[in-house]
This record gives sequence, structure tokens and C-alpha cells, in this order.
Amino acid sequence: MKLLYKEIRLCAHPTSLVFAFLGCLVLVPAYPYSVILLFGSLAPYITFVNARETNDLWYTAILPVSKAESVGGKCLLVVSLQLFQLLFSVPFAMLRQGLHIANNPVGLDATPAWYGLGLLVYGVFDILFLASFYKSGYKAGKAFLLASIPLGSMMVLVEATAHIPALSWMDSVQPEDLLRQLPILLAGIIGYAALLFLAYRISVKRYEKVDL
Amino acid sequence: MNTVLCVQDLCKRYPGFLLDHVSFSLAPHRIMGLIGKNGAGKSTTLKAMLNMVSPESGRVTVFHQDFYQQETACKARIGVVFGGMEFYPLKTLAAITAVTKRFYAHWDQAQYQRYLGYFGLDERKKFKELSNGMKVKYLLTLALSHHAELLILDEPTSGLDPVSREELLHLFRQIVEGEHCSILFSTHITSDLDKCADDITYLQKGKVLQSADKETFLRSFDHLRAPGDTMPLTLEEIMLRTERRTWDDEAAL
Repeated sequence: MKLLYKEIRLCAHPTSLVFAFLGCLVLVPAYPYSVILLFGSLAPYITFVNARETNDLWYTAILPVSKAESVGGKCLLVVSLQLFQLLFSVPFAMLRQGLHIANNPVGLDATPAWYGLGLLVYGVFDILFLASFYKSGYKAGKAFLLASIPLGSMMVLVEATAHIPALSWMDSVQPEDLLRQLPILLAGIIGYAALLFLAYRISVKRYEKVDL
Repeated sequence: MNTVLCVQDLCKRYPGFLLDHVSFSLAPHRIMGLIGKNGAGKSTTLKAMLNMVSPESGRVTVFHQDFYQQETACKARIGVVFGGMEFYPLKTLAAITAVTKRFYAHWDQAQYQRYLGYFGLDERKKFKELSNGMKVKYLLTLALSHHAELLILDEPTSGLDPVSREELLHLFRQIVEGEHCSILFSTHITSDLDKCADDITYLQKGKVLQSADKETFLRSFDHLRAPGDTMPLTLEEIMLRTERRTWDDEAAL
């Protein structure tokens, strides 16, 4: 926890913390909710740029922390920001149903399927971003550009599902449809955990070879 | 021999530069100066020792423990200061300290407060608001507050005015005598070492030219004395004459 505390207190850019609260956007009646995922991906990018500019990797290297733990701290921060954002959005998604706001005409509603797909989007972004960043320890822009290609493509696909009649059950909050969506949510949770674990392993392996 | 630090055959290759089997050791309660001209490999040696750059080969033993195997445990007993390095410039000293102290089991808050007062540091200030000398003093405060037994300092006096340098060198002697600590510091300002070093290691083009206690070190360069020299050579003269001979040798080729 001390590593997470360090990341939040010294490293996390204030904007990335603001982005973590943007899960509340699921309350907006007509909005492509996958843009929330873009904010959750920009948060690590901004924080990693901030870390580079403040010599965070150097400071961490002189603390009693190994390179693997240094990577672990950053992964923990990314996971915390993204999971907090999604969990923070849940009460707003429920409030939306409570207020009987009409179905989002732009794209997929904040259904369990959206959360499952969102977690997979985050997982794919994180593995590409983290693994690419830790190749050099400073090229955050390149890592973000690389990871933003699948991020953008997957965001479009997620939003498009709402407009495919055969997949309309993914955009529904009817009890029987919610049940059908649960495997997607489960797959998202497992996929996110597996991709993050892999991202951590690859990043550690690469960062061990980086010369500060 | 009782040592707090033992570096053996440390090698690191960069395009156009080779850190070539660097070896030296530091005894307890001693100050060792690591000297060499710019680009000689001083910072690379320190970074390779600390695993900040991955060495190709070599062994570093700190407090009789293999540093690369016991990195976290060894670092807990070490304080590192990089002169001229900006850490979290927009954060207050209080914020940096609040994080740093969580990493050390032997953090001594009373000692920290004592050194803050001694150095005249204000915790409410941001790191970037400190002068270069005060930055070094703050980083030293952090190191001394967890009772570091070995300080590794990279160019701590670079960019400081003569008064601040003198003050820091005086402080190093006090630390070694009062805090049961050893210091390894790299510098290209050799006059600093005339005043405070017990041992000298001289790096030239990535190789250790000589590593010994100061008296032996000075004697080992007697061959550089010119017939007119009546006084023993200073470290600066030794370095200048050694590097000049290298230029002459290269010019002859």
C-alpha cells in the first residue's frame, strides 16, 4: 500500500484523479459512454508523463524498492484509477434507471455488458501502454499512441453493438437480458485481471533491462 | 578486510564507452572520493552499483550482502543523493517526506526534525524553491533520518558556491564521525577531496587507475612529479598530469 500511497501523493497528475470521477457521465441521457474509457486511458498517460517530468523513476530507484516493485506501484495506480472510475459510475447508472431516463440513443447503455466490454478495453489498452512504456521508461507518448489505436477501434465497436438488432439484448436492462449479459461481465473481469497480470510481467521484464 | 561496500569487476558497455572491470572497496566510517574527468564513468559506476543501469557483469556487496540479490534490504541501509537532480519540483518537502518515511522501518522523526532545523529547511517549501545546496541538504536529511549507514553521493557539490561546498564537506566529516556512516562520493572537483576524503578511487576511461587510501594514492603518483616540484602533488595536479599524459600519448599515435 505504501507504493500506491506514493503514486497517489507524489506521482498521479491531478487531472487523472478528476478523470477517475468521470464515471458519473453515465447519467448523461445521450452520450457515447465509451468516451469514459478514453478518460480512464488518458489518466495513466498523463500520470506517466508527469512521472517522467518529475524524475519519479529515479526517486523510486533510490528508495528501498526493486524495479519490479516500482512497476507494481504504477500498475496498482492504473488499476485503482480505472476500477474506481467504473465502480463510481455504478450508482449513477442505477440512478439513471431510477429516474426512468430513456435508453441512450447514441450507443450502448451502462449495462453489465458495457462494463464487461469496458474492462476488456482497459485490459487491452493497459497491456499495450504499460509494456510499451517500460521498454524505455520514458516514451509515454509513443506508448499512448500505440495503445490508442485498439482503444479507439474497440470504443467504436462497443458503441456499435447498440445499433445491431441481433445484439439489442446487450443494450437492455430487462431482467432476462441482464442475466444474459452476466457472462460478458464475468469475461471482462477475468480478461482484465489476466491482461493486467500479463502487462505487469512483461513490463517488469522490460524495465529490468532499462538503464536510467 | 571489514568493508561496508565492495565492488568487484563491474562491467557495463555503452556504444563508445566501456566500464571495464571496476573494483574498489570502502571500509566503515571512511569517506571515499570517486574522481575522474567528465565521462570517465563515475555516475555510470554509481548507477550500476545501485542497479539503476543493469551491469553486464560484476558483483556488488553491501554490508556483506549481495546487492543484486538483496536489493531492497541493502537500499534500506543506504542513502543516495544525486546532485543537480530535481525530484517532484512542485511538491512540498512535507509531502515528499510523508511518502519517503513510509519506506523505512527505522525512520527517526526526531532526527528528521533536528536536521531540518540544523539546515534551516522549511517543510512548507516546494522542492523547486530550494537552492541547489539546500536540495542536497534536504536529500541528506532524508538519508540521515533513516540512519543510513552508507551514503552514495553523485556530484553533490557541483554547481555550489565555495562557501556552500565548504559547509557540505565539513558536514560530511561530521556525519562520518557522528552518525557511524561511510560516504562514497563522486566529484570532478578534486579540491573537495583534499579536505575531506580518506580514500580515493580514480577512474579513467571506465577503468580504475588507482584505488587506495589518500596517502598511498598520492605516493603512487610520485612518478608524475617534475624535478622542480618541492611540494607533494595535489589531487588536481595528479589528475591534470595524468590526463595530459593521455593526450600526449594519443597525439603521438
